[in-house]
Amino acid sequence: MNETIITTRALTKTFQLNKHKVPALRGVDLEVSEGEFLALVGPSGSGKTTFLNLVGALDVPTSGELTVLGRRVAELSKRARADLRLRSIGFVFQAYNLVPVLTALENVEFVLELQGVGSERRGRARQVLDELGLGDLARRRPNELSGGQQQRVAVARAVAARPRLVLADEPTANLDGENAETLMHMMRDLRDRHGMTFVFSTHDLRVVAHAVRVVTLTDGRVARDEEKSGEAPHEILPGVGKVPGSAGA
Amino acid sequence: MAWVSTKYAVRSVGRNARRTALSILGIGIGCALALFTESMNRGRDELFARTGAYSGAGHLRVVPAGWSASRDPRLRLADWHADLAAARTLPGIAAVTVRARAQVLLAMGTHVVPVEMVGVDPENEPRTFRFVQKVQRGHYLLSGEQGTVVVGKAIAERLSADLDDEILASAVGKTGDIESAMLRIVGIVSTGSEEFDAGICQVRLDDVERLTGLAGAGEVTAILDDWRATDAARALLAPRLTSGDQALTWGDISPEFKGHMEQDKAASRFISVIILLIVLLGVASAQLAAVLERRREFAVLSAVGMGAVPMVRLVLLEALTLGFAGATVGLALGLPIVWRFARAGLDFRRFMGSGYAFQGVIIEPIIYGDFGVWIVPYVVAVAFGATIIASLYPAWFAARTDPAVALRVAQ
Repeated sequence: MNETIITTRALTKTFQLNKHKVPALRGVDLEVSEGEFLALVGPSGSGKTTFLNLVGALDVPTSGELTVLGRRVAELSKRARADLRLRSIGFVFQAYNLVPVLTALENVEFVLELQGVGSERRGRARQVLDELGLGDLARRRPNELSGGQQQRVAVARAVAARPRLVLADEPTANLDGENAETLMHMMRDLRDRHGMTFVFSTHDLRVVAHAVRVVTLTDGRVARDEEKSGEAPHEILPGVGKVPGSAGA
Repeated sequence: MAWVSTKYAVRSVGRNARRTALSILGIGIGCALALFTESMNRGRDELFARTGAYSGAGHLRVVPAGWSASRDPRLRLADWHADLAAARTLPGIAAVTVRARAQVLLAMGTHVVPVEMVGVDPENEPRTFRFVQKVQRGHYLLSGEQGTVVVGKAIAERLSADLDDEILASAVGKTGDIESAMLRIVGIVSTGSEEFDAGICQVRLDDVERLTGLAGAGEVTAILDDWRATDAARALLAPRLTSGDQALTWGDISPEFKGHMEQDKAASRFISVIILLIVLLGVASAQLAAVLERRREFAVLSAVGMGAVPMVRLVLLEALTLGFAGATVGLALGLPIVWRFARAGLDFRRFMGSGYAFQGVIIEPIIYGDFGVWIVPYVVAVAFGATIIASLYPAWFAARTDPAVALRVAQ
């Protein structure tokens, strides 16, 4: 039995917009074990990004319990949350968000530098890029890379420090089908080889096809939580169309 | 060493080339103006200190005990030979002389002029009181000539006296009686300032002793190679003095003149501060705009675990890069200007003639800027200081970026 690394109990998050309170999460109960490859799905505004932000210690819950890697997020100071992210959590964003003035290699190296890795950081960064088949792109800056290449470099940056948990918010939203497939294979491969836990939000059924567990959020609550066992994605996503090219399509 | 962070900061400066160029130009112009002001300030300080010292005060003066309170010219040093010897052994001494003063009435025919007569050592006096070198007619005092006097042009005119005329000098003697002596005018000095000329009356030291009956010198005056070393020289000299004689600086002797100098300095510094403040606000505005534009980027940096301190360091490193470029531009703009004014000077003759006297000091009408090795560190310090201070708020703002909010807003 793998260790539980994310636990939420009656987790809520409410945003104050002007004079109005807008609930984004209305009581989420979830447990995620180490090594899971979990997709968060649901319509826009269902709370996926808010959930990822809370789990990633970017934000604190309004109420309820949230424990990530054994740390109760609500009790952590801003500095402690930054440290938790730096040491144990990797992020992949929809818009890649690489530092535009640094090369691919330097983007990866930068995170290692923040961690205080010494002289070996360049070698480690290059090793990660090579491992992900990005060695040839090391000296290129983001504006010299395609969207798919940028997102793969972003994944390299997220996993360079071998975090236990990688959070990805709509990682394939800006990618075409082929690049989305490549990215998902890469993430799945990282999880298989290094035992990292991946939690990603998505609307993309091609991405969901790769997930081992799919949690559906609706209106800030967990509507469905299913382990996949060979089912086609459309079968576990009620109301969502079939994946192009998948069985039965 | 945070090489990647350094590259990040340096390259970030080039992201918005136009804004960066304007910022650098602004810093450069500010540095050049500050450099020019500082150069002229230093030149003016040097000029004031030099003219003050060579107008008779010297940089250091040994005076009798009690002189500071009474300023009585009849007081004499306890052991002027020992004091003179002590002053001569100070490091960085350019010239030393002795003097004795007396309040006298000069008379010729029906004309009478009250003056402060100064008994001097004719060999050394011209090296410490350079205006006596401006002998318009006749010659300066000679060691072998007793009973001679050099007077300012204004005194000669008031007495209706000329070269080789005998004038009567009367003073209160040691016992309180009026003593008199006849003196022959051997030189008439013209400094260009009537006020100053009306105060020059020099005789040999032994002539003052003879006239007043007071033996010895009333002061030992020293000129230093570098006026900035005055306080250090006094600290060295004071313990070497005997019998209660005291060492004073030119500032102690002419507090009004020093005050005037400090006032001028403060006004110039105020102008420098205004210039730097304007530059500072310009840089702060540009830096804040740069941070605001990159709010999402800072949110991402925060998300990947960059703490507040490294983020502040990153923004300040960018500021240092700007400051370095600004300092380079500042030197390129400022050096030729400072060089020009160090050579040709800032000429005030149109406004004040060939010189004016203030508190017994003749102020020269041309101020030469100072040009020295201090320029590079000064400009670098101003540029770095201004950009760092200007970037503190933008850096703090960047460090406070809430990643969740910034990323949510960006989406």
